Amino acid sequence: MRSTPSLSLRASTVDDTLAVAAALAGLARAGDVVLLAGEMGTGKTTFAQGFGRAMGVDEPITSPTFTLVHSYPTAGPTLHHADLYRLEHMSEVADLALGELAEFHGIVLVEWGDVAAGAFGDHVVVRLGHVDGDDAARTVVLTAVGGAWARRWGALVEATAEWCDQ
Amino acid sequence: MCAGERTGHNVLILGIETATQQVSVAIGGHEGVLGLFEVARGRRHAETLIPAIEFVCRQADITLDELGLVAVDVGPGLFTGMRVGLAAAKALGQALRVPMIGISSLDLLAFPHRRSDRVVVPVIDARKGEVFYAMYRQVPGGLQQVAAPRVGPVEELVADLLARSQDVLCTGVGAHRYREQIIDGFHCEIADTAFPSAGPLVQLAHARALREEWVSPADICPVYLRAPDARINWATRARAGTGGGAHRA
Repeated sequence: MRSTPSLSLRASTVDDTLAVAAALAGLARAGDVVLLAGEMGTGKTTFAQGFGRAMGVDEPITSPTFTLVHSYPTAGPTLHHADLYRLEHMSEVADLALGELAEFHGIVLVEWGDVAAGAFGDHVVVRLGHVDGDDAARTVVLTAVGGAWARRWGALVEATAEWCDQ
Repeated sequence: MCAGERTGHNVLILGIETATQQVSVAIGGHEGVLGLFEVARGRRHAETLIPAIEFVCRQADITLDELGLVAVDVGPGLFTGMRVGLAAAKALGQALRVPMIGISSLDLLAFPHRRSDRVVVPVIDARKGEVFYAMYRQVPGGLQQVAAPRVGPVEELVADLLARSQDVLCTGVGAHRYREQIIDGFHCEIADTAFPSAGPLVQLAHARALREEWVSPADICPVYLRAPDARINWATRARAGTGGGAHRA
Protein backbone atom coordinates (compact mmCIF):
# COMPACT_ATOMS: atom_id res chain seq x y z
CA MET A 1 0.00 0.00 0.00
CA ARG A 2 1.39 3.41 -0.80
CA SER A 3 1.48 6.10 1.78
CA THR A 4 0.52 9.73 1.27
CA PRO A 5 2.63 12.40 2.96
CA SER A 6 1.68 13.17 6.52
CA LEU A 7 0.00 16.36 7.57
CA SER A 8 1.34 17.94 10.76
CA LEU A 9 -1.04 20.20 12.63
CA ARG A 10 -1.02 21.99 15.93
CA ALA A 11 -4.19 22.39 17.96
CA SER A 12 -3.74 25.11 20.60
CA THR A 13 -6.96 24.40 22.46
CA VAL A 14 -9.58 21.69 22.87
CA ASP A 15 -11.78 23.68 20.47
CA ASP A 16 -9.02 23.43 17.86
CA THR A 17 -8.85 19.65 18.31
CA LEU A 18 -12.64 19.49 17.88
CA ALA A 19 -12.40 21.68 14.77
CA VAL A 20 -9.64 19.56 13.19
CA ALA A 21 -11.79 16.47 13.85
CA ALA A 22 -14.74 18.21 12.23
CA ALA A 23 -12.61 19.07 9.18
CA LEU A 24 -11.67 15.40 8.79
CA ALA A 25 -15.28 14.31 9.34
CA GLY A 26 -16.39 16.75 6.68
CA LEU A 27 -14.38 14.86 4.09
CA ALA A 28 -15.00 11.35 5.45
CA ARG A 29 -17.40 9.02 3.71
CA ALA A 30 -18.93 5.60 4.22
CA GLY A 31 -16.25 2.92 4.23
CA ASP A 32 -13.62 5.04 5.97
CA VAL A 33 -11.58 3.74 8.90
CA VAL A 34 -9.83 6.31 11.12
CA LEU A 35 -7.30 5.07 13.67
CA LEU A 36 -6.82 7.36 16.68
CA ALA A 37 -3.35 7.10 18.18
CA GLY A 38 -1.62 8.81 21.07
CA GLU A 39 -1.00 8.35 24.73
CA MET A 40 -3.60 8.42 27.46
CA GLY A 41 -4.90 11.96 27.87
CA THR A 42 -3.89 13.31 24.47
CA GLY A 43 -7.51 13.67 23.41
CA LYS A 44 -8.47 10.66 21.32
CA THR A 45 -11.99 10.68 22.73
CA THR A 46 -12.17 14.47 22.34
CA PHE A 47 -11.24 14.00 18.69
CA ALA A 48 -13.98 11.37 18.33
CA GLN A 49 -16.46 13.80 19.89
CA GLY A 50 -15.59 16.52 17.39
CA PHE A 51 -15.79 14.01 14.58
CA GLY A 52 -19.17 12.68 15.71
CA ARG A 53 -20.64 16.12 16.29
CA ALA A 54 -19.68 17.12 12.75
CA MET A 55 -21.47 14.02 11.46
CA GLY A 56 -24.61 15.09 13.28
CA VAL A 57 -24.40 12.76 16.30
CA ASP A 58 -26.45 14.38 19.09
CA GLU A 59 -25.72 11.86 21.84
CA PRO A 60 -22.65 12.38 23.97
CA ILE A 61 -19.74 10.33 22.67
CA THR A 62 -17.87 8.64 25.51
CA SER A 63 -14.92 6.32 25.48
CA PRO A 64 -16.18 2.83 24.57
CA THR A 65 -13.47 1.05 26.54
CA PHE A 66 -15.92 -1.24 28.31
CA THR A 67 -18.18 -2.08 25.40
CA LEU A 68 -15.53 -2.16 22.65
CA VAL A 69 -17.78 -0.56 20.03
CA HIS A 70 -20.45 2.14 20.24
CA SER A 71 -22.58 2.80 17.17
CA TYR A 72 -24.27 6.10 16.44
CA PRO A 73 -26.79 6.33 13.61
CA THR A 74 -26.69 9.60 11.66
CA ALA A 75 -28.59 10.92 8.66
CA GLY A 76 -25.71 9.55 6.57
CA PRO A 77 -23.32 6.71 7.39
CA THR A 78 -23.44 5.10 10.84
CA LEU A 79 -20.55 6.19 13.07
CA HIS A 80 -18.86 3.30 14.92
CA HIS A 81 -16.52 4.24 17.76
CA ALA A 82 -14.23 1.42 18.90
CA ASP A 83 -11.48 1.14 21.48
CA LEU A 84 -8.80 -1.56 21.39
CA TYR A 85 -7.24 -0.60 24.73
CA ARG A 86 -8.39 -3.69 26.61
CA LEU A 87 -7.61 -6.20 23.87
CA GLU A 88 -4.60 -8.49 23.99
CA HIS A 89 -4.83 -10.52 20.79
CA MET A 90 -5.20 -9.69 17.13
CA SER A 91 -7.96 -12.31 16.93
CA GLU A 92 -10.04 -10.13 19.25
CA VAL A 93 -9.57 -7.23 16.85
CA ALA A 94 -10.59 -9.48 13.97
CA ASP A 95 -13.68 -10.56 15.96
CA LEU A 96 -14.91 -6.97 16.00
CA ALA A 97 -15.04 -7.06 12.18
CA LEU A 98 -14.58 -3.28 12.10
CA GLY A 99 -13.77 -3.34 8.39
CA GLU A 100 -17.17 -4.89 7.76
CA LEU A 101 -18.88 -2.19 9.82
CA ALA A 102 -17.23 0.40 7.57
CA GLU A 103 -18.23 -1.54 4.50
CA PHE A 104 -21.87 -1.67 5.57
CA HIS A 105 -22.32 2.08 5.13
CA GLY A 106 -20.34 3.03 8.20
CA ILE A 107 -17.42 5.18 9.29
CA VAL A 108 -15.25 3.59 11.98
CA LEU A 109 -13.12 5.46 14.53
CA VAL A 110 -10.70 3.20 16.42
CA GLU A 111 -8.99 4.44 19.58
CA TRP A 112 -5.54 2.84 20.01
CA GLY A 113 -6.11 1.51 16.47
CA ASP A 114 -2.47 2.01 15.49
CA VAL A 115 -1.37 -1.08 17.44
CA ALA A 116 -3.43 -3.22 15.07
CA ALA A 117 -3.01 -1.16 11.90
CA GLY A 118 -2.29 -4.33 9.93
CA ALA A 119 -5.84 -5.53 10.65
CA PHE A 120 -7.30 -2.70 8.61
CA GLY A 121 -7.27 -1.94 4.91
CA ASP A 122 -7.00 1.66 3.70
CA HIS A 123 -7.22 4.04 6.63
CA VAL A 124 -6.17 7.36 8.13
CA VAL A 125 -4.07 7.50 11.28
CA VAL A 126 -4.64 10.50 13.55
CA ARG A 127 -1.74 10.72 15.98
CA LEU A 128 -2.24 13.10 18.90
CA GLY A 129 0.65 14.24 21.05
CA HIS A 130 1.39 16.57 23.95
CA VAL A 131 3.24 19.83 23.45
CA ASP A 132 6.01 20.52 25.96
CA GLY A 133 5.18 23.45 28.20
CA ASP A 134 1.62 23.89 26.94
CA ASP A 135 -0.94 21.64 28.62
CA ALA A 136 -3.82 22.64 26.35
CA ALA A 137 -2.02 22.28 23.03
CA ARG A 138 -1.72 19.09 20.99
CA THR A 139 0.19 18.02 17.93
CA VAL A 140 -2.09 16.29 15.43
CA VAL A 141 -0.43 14.26 12.67
CA LEU A 142 -2.68 12.85 9.97
CA THR A 143 -1.35 10.06 7.75
CA ALA A 144 -3.26 8.22 5.02
CA VAL A 145 -2.42 4.57 4.44
CA GLY A 146 -3.61 3.17 1.12
CA GLY A 147 -5.28 5.04 -1.69
CA ALA A 148 -8.71 5.74 -0.16
CA TRP A 149 -7.79 9.34 0.72
CA ALA A 150 -5.59 10.12 -2.31
CA ARG A 151 -8.22 12.25 -4.01
CA ARG A 152 -9.36 13.94 -0.82
CA TRP A 153 -5.94 14.71 0.57
CA GLY A 154 -5.65 18.10 -1.12
CA ALA A 155 -9.03 19.11 0.25
CA LEU A 156 -7.97 17.95 3.72
CA VAL A 157 -4.79 20.03 3.53
CA GLU A 158 -6.93 23.07 2.66
CA ALA A 159 -9.54 22.37 5.31
CA THR A 160 -6.88 22.16 8.02
CA ALA A 161 -4.62 24.97 6.75
CA GLU A 162 -5.18 27.23 9.75
CA TRP A 163 -3.69 24.63 12.13
CA CYS A 164 -0.70 23.83 9.91
CA ASP A 165 2.45 23.23 11.97
CA GLN A 166 5.03 23.27 9.18
CA MET B 1 -32.48 -34.29 21.37
CA CYS B 2 -36.24 -34.46 21.05
CA ALA B 3 -36.20 -34.55 17.29
CA GLY B 4 -38.54 -37.53 17.23
CA GLU B 5 -40.31 -38.53 14.05
CA ARG B 6 -39.65 -35.20 12.40
CA THR B 7 -36.09 -36.23 11.55
CA GLY B 8 -36.95 -39.29 9.48
CA HIS B 9 -36.74 -39.54 5.71
CA ASN B 10 -39.45 -36.91 5.30
CA VAL B 11 -37.73 -34.33 7.45
CA LEU B 12 -38.40 -30.71 6.52
CA ILE B 13 -35.25 -28.60 6.65
CA LEU B 14 -34.92 -24.85 7.06
CA GLY B 15 -31.66 -23.57 5.52
CA ILE B 16 -30.13 -20.23 6.55
CA GLU B 17 -27.25 -18.72 4.59
CA THR B 18 -25.72 -15.34 5.47
CA ALA B 19 -21.96 -15.85 5.09
CA THR B 20 -21.55 -13.30 2.29
CA GLN B 21 -23.42 -10.12 1.42
CA GLN B 22 -26.34 -12.30 0.30
CA VAL B 23 -29.14 -13.40 2.60
CA SER B 24 -30.58 -16.73 1.49
CA VAL B 25 -33.30 -18.84 3.09
CA ALA B 26 -34.68 -22.14 1.81
CA ILE B 27 -37.02 -24.90 2.93
CA GLY B 28 -36.77 -28.39 1.54
CA GLY B 29 -36.40 -32.06 2.20
CA HIS B 30 -36.72 -35.31 0.32
CA GLU B 31 -38.68 -33.54 -2.44
CA GLY B 32 -35.77 -31.15 -2.97
CA VAL B 33 -35.99 -27.40 -2.44
CA LEU B 34 -39.60 -26.33 -1.85
CA GLY B 35 -39.01 -22.63 -1.35
CA LEU B 36 -36.08 -20.25 -1.70
CA PHE B 37 -35.68 -16.54 -1.01
CA GLU B 38 -32.51 -14.59 -1.58
CA VAL B 39 -31.42 -11.01 -1.84
CA ALA B 40 -27.85 -9.99 -2.60
CA ARG B 41 -28.18 -6.24 -2.20
CA GLY B 42 -28.83 -4.14 0.84
CA ARG B 43 -26.51 -5.92 3.23
CA ARG B 44 -28.93 -5.71 6.10
CA HIS B 45 -28.69 -9.30 7.25
CA ALA B 46 -30.23 -8.64 10.65
CA GLU B 47 -33.25 -6.81 9.21
CA THR B 48 -33.78 -9.16 6.26
CA LEU B 49 -33.31 -12.64 7.67
CA ILE B 50 -36.31 -13.15 9.96
CA PRO B 51 -38.87 -11.65 7.52
CA ALA B 52 -37.30 -13.84 4.82
CA ILE B 53 -37.83 -16.97 6.96
CA GLU B 54 -41.45 -15.96 7.60
CA PHE B 55 -41.99 -15.29 3.91
CA VAL B 56 -40.59 -18.61 2.70
CA CYS B 57 -42.54 -20.56 5.32
CA ARG B 58 -45.79 -18.77 4.51
CA GLN B 59 -45.41 -19.13 0.74
CA ALA B 60 -44.49 -22.80 1.03
CA ASP B 61 -47.42 -23.29 3.43
CA ILE B 62 -45.18 -24.64 6.16
CA THR B 63 -45.36 -23.71 9.83
CA LEU B 64 -42.25 -23.58 11.98
CA ASP B 65 -43.38 -26.51 14.12
CA GLU B 66 -43.31 -28.74 11.05
CA LEU B 67 -39.56 -28.22 10.69
CA GLY B 68 -37.41 -31.16 11.72
CA LEU B 69 -33.98 -29.65 11.25
CA VAL B 70 -32.23 -26.30 10.88
CA ALA B 71 -29.22 -26.10 8.56
CA VAL B 72 -26.88 -23.14 8.54
CA ASP B 73 -23.82 -21.97 6.65
CA VAL B 74 -21.04 -21.78 9.24
CA GLY B 75 -18.60 -19.85 7.03
CA PRO B 76 -15.95 -18.86 6.26
CA GLY B 77 -17.25 -15.48 5.18
CA LEU B 78 -18.26 -12.10 6.54
CA PHE B 79 -18.15 -12.17 10.35
CA THR B 80 -21.09 -9.84 10.75
CA GLY B 81 -23.30 -11.77 8.34
CA MET B 82 -22.36 -15.20 9.71
CA ARG B 83 -23.18 -14.16 13.26
CA VAL B 84 -26.68 -13.04 12.32
CA GLY B 85 -27.34 -16.34 10.54
CA LEU B 86 -25.83 -18.49 13.28
CA ALA B 87 -27.65 -16.65 16.06
CA ALA B 88 -31.01 -16.95 14.30
CA ALA B 89 -30.44 -20.60 13.33
CA LYS B 90 -29.37 -21.61 16.84
CA ALA B 91 -32.30 -19.76 18.40
CA LEU B 92 -34.72 -21.57 16.10
CA GLY B 93 -33.02 -24.92 16.65
CA GLN B 94 -33.24 -24.48 20.40
CA ALA B 95 -36.80 -23.15 20.47
CA LEU B 96 -38.11 -25.84 18.13
CA ARG B 97 -36.02 -28.51 19.87
CA VAL B 98 -34.70 -29.84 16.57
CA PRO B 99 -31.15 -30.82 15.62
CA MET B 100 -28.90 -28.78 13.38
CA ILE B 101 -26.42 -29.30 10.58
CA GLY B 102 -23.66 -26.77 9.85
CA ILE B 103 -22.13 -26.69 6.38
CA SER B 104 -19.16 -24.76 4.99
CA SER B 105 -19.81 -21.86 2.64
CA LEU B 106 -17.09 -23.30 0.37
CA ASP B 107 -18.94 -26.66 0.17
CA LEU B 108 -22.09 -24.76 -0.80
CA LEU B 109 -20.31 -22.87 -3.58
CA ALA B 110 -18.75 -26.06 -4.95
CA PHE B 111 -21.96 -28.13 -4.82
CA PRO B 112 -23.68 -26.68 -7.96
CA HIS B 113 -20.59 -27.75 -9.94
CA ARG B 114 -20.54 -31.32 -8.65
CA ARG B 115 -20.83 -32.69 -12.19
CA SER B 116 -17.85 -30.72 -13.49
CA ASP B 117 -14.85 -32.82 -14.43
CA ARG B 118 -12.50 -29.99 -13.42
CA VAL B 119 -11.07 -29.21 -10.03
CA VAL B 120 -13.72 -26.92 -8.51
CA VAL B 121 -12.24 -24.04 -6.49
CA PRO B 122 -14.75 -21.93 -4.55
CA VAL B 123 -13.27 -18.53 -3.65
CA ILE B 124 -14.78 -16.10 -1.14
CA ASP B 125 -13.49 -12.55 -0.70
CA ALA B 126 -11.85 -12.25 2.73
CA ARG B 127 -11.09 -8.51 2.22
CA LYS B 128 -7.74 -6.74 2.15
CA GLY B 129 -6.53 -8.74 -0.86
CA GLU B 130 -7.14 -12.11 0.81
CA VAL B 131 -9.48 -14.93 -0.10
CA PHE B 132 -10.94 -18.04 1.51
CA TYR B 133 -10.68 -21.05 -0.78
CA ALA B 134 -10.70 -24.82 -0.96
CA MET B 135 -10.52 -27.38 -3.78
CA TYR B 136 -12.93 -30.16 -4.74
CA ARG B 137 -12.97 -32.99 -7.25
CA GLN B 138 -15.79 -35.06 -8.61
CA VAL B 139 -16.00 -38.58 -7.22
CA PRO B 140 -18.77 -41.16 -7.66
CA GLY B 141 -21.70 -39.87 -5.65
CA GLY B 142 -20.54 -36.29 -5.15
CA LEU B 143 -17.60 -34.01 -4.51
CA GLN B 144 -14.52 -34.72 -2.50
CA GLN B 145 -12.48 -31.99 -0.91
CA VAL B 146 -8.91 -32.32 -2.19
CA ALA B 147 -7.46 -29.20 -0.54
CA ALA B 148 -8.62 -28.04 2.88
CA PRO B 149 -10.10 -24.55 3.33
CA ARG B 150 -7.56 -21.83 3.89
CA VAL B 151 -7.22 -18.09 3.87
CA GLY B 152 -4.45 -16.23 2.09
CA PRO B 153 -3.52 -13.56 -0.43
CA VAL B 154 -4.79 -14.03 -4.00
CA GLU B 155 -1.16 -14.68 -5.04
CA GLU B 156 -1.14 -17.74 -2.80
CA LEU B 157 -4.29 -19.08 -4.47
CA VAL B 158 -2.69 -18.55 -7.89
CA ALA B 159 0.49 -20.32 -6.73
CA ASP B 160 -1.63 -23.23 -5.48
CA LEU B 161 -3.41 -23.46 -8.83
CA LEU B 162 -0.09 -23.37 -10.70
CA ALA B 163 1.33 -26.09 -8.48
CA ARG B 164 -1.60 -28.37 -9.36
CA SER B 165 -1.70 -27.47 -13.05
CA GLN B 166 -5.06 -29.18 -13.55
CA ASP B 167 -8.19 -28.01 -15.34
CA VAL B 168 -9.79 -25.64 -12.87
CA LEU B 169 -13.20 -24.03 -12.43
CA CYS B 170 -13.13 -21.13 -9.97
CA THR B 171 -16.41 -19.98 -8.51
CA GLY B 172 -17.68 -17.45 -5.98
CA VAL B 173 -17.57 -13.76 -5.26
CA GLY B 174 -13.81 -13.86 -4.56
CA ALA B 175 -13.14 -15.37 -7.98
CA HIS B 176 -15.22 -12.59 -9.53
CA ARG B 177 -13.49 -9.81 -7.65
CA TYR B 178 -9.99 -11.07 -8.49
CA ARG B 179 -10.89 -12.51 -11.92
CA GLU B 180 -8.06 -10.74 -13.80
CA GLN B 181 -5.42 -11.55 -11.25
CA ILE B 182 -6.40 -15.23 -11.15
CA ILE B 183 -6.64 -15.64 -14.93
CA ASP B 184 -3.38 -13.73 -15.49
CA GLY B 185 -1.62 -16.05 -13.09
CA PHE B 186 -3.28 -19.30 -14.09
CA HIS B 187 -5.58 -19.75 -17.05
CA CYS B 188 -8.89 -21.19 -15.84
CA GLU B 189 -12.62 -20.80 -16.15
CA ILE B 190 -14.59 -18.59 -13.75
CA ALA B 191 -18.16 -19.75 -13.09
CA ASP B 192 -21.06 -17.29 -12.80
CA THR B 193 -22.02 -18.42 -9.29
CA ALA B 194 -21.20 -15.61 -6.88
CA PHE B 195 -22.74 -16.47 -3.53
CA PRO B 196 -23.38 -19.63 -1.54
CA SER B 197 -27.09 -20.37 -1.56
CA ALA B 198 -29.53 -21.92 0.90
CA GLY B 199 -30.77 -24.20 -1.91
CA PRO B 200 -27.64 -26.39 -1.95
CA LEU B 201 -27.53 -25.98 1.85
CA VAL B 202 -30.89 -27.73 2.21
CA GLN B 203 -29.93 -30.39 -0.35
CA LEU B 204 -26.60 -31.17 1.33
CA ALA B 205 -28.17 -31.09 4.78
CA HIS B 206 -30.85 -33.55 3.67
CA ALA B 207 -28.21 -36.02 2.50
CA ARG B 208 -26.48 -35.70 5.87
CA ALA B 209 -29.75 -35.93 7.79
CA LEU B 210 -30.40 -39.31 6.18
CA ARG B 211 -27.11 -40.44 7.73
CA GLU B 212 -28.16 -38.79 11.00
CA GLU B 213 -25.09 -36.55 10.92
CA TRP B 214 -26.67 -33.78 12.94
CA VAL B 215 -25.63 -32.02 16.13
CA SER B 216 -27.32 -30.01 18.86
CA PRO B 217 -27.53 -26.21 18.49
CA ALA B 218 -24.82 -25.73 21.13
CA ASP B 219 -22.35 -27.64 18.95
CA ILE B 220 -22.72 -25.38 15.91
CA CYS B 221 -19.70 -23.05 15.69
CA PRO B 222 -18.65 -20.46 13.15
CA VAL B 223 -15.61 -21.18 10.99
CA TYR B 224 -13.72 -17.89 10.93
CA LEU B 225 -10.63 -19.37 9.28
CA ARG B 226 -8.45 -16.42 10.02
CA ALA B 227 -4.71 -15.97 9.95
CA PRO B 228 -2.72 -17.34 12.93
CA ASP B 229 -3.31 -15.26 16.02
CA ALA B 230 -0.72 -12.88 17.44
CA ARG B 231 -0.51 -10.86 20.61
CA ILE B 232 -1.03 -7.16 20.15
CA ASN B 233 2.32 -5.44 20.45
CA TRP B 234 1.48 -2.87 23.11
CA ALA B 235 5.15 -1.87 23.26
CA THR B 236 4.55 0.17 20.13
CA ARG B 237 2.03 2.18 22.08
CA ALA B 238 4.58 3.23 24.67
CA ARG B 239 6.76 4.81 22.00
CA ALA B 240 3.86 6.27 20.06
CA GLY B 241 2.50 9.78 20.38
CA THR B 242 5.64 11.38 21.70
CA GLY B 243 6.95 12.43 18.31
CA GLY B 244 9.99 10.25 18.81
CA GLY B 245 10.81 11.82 22.16
CA ALA B 246 10.96 10.16 25.52
CA HIS B 247 8.00 8.14 26.74
CA ARG B 248 5.72 10.06 29.04
CA ALA B 249 4.59 8.01 32.01
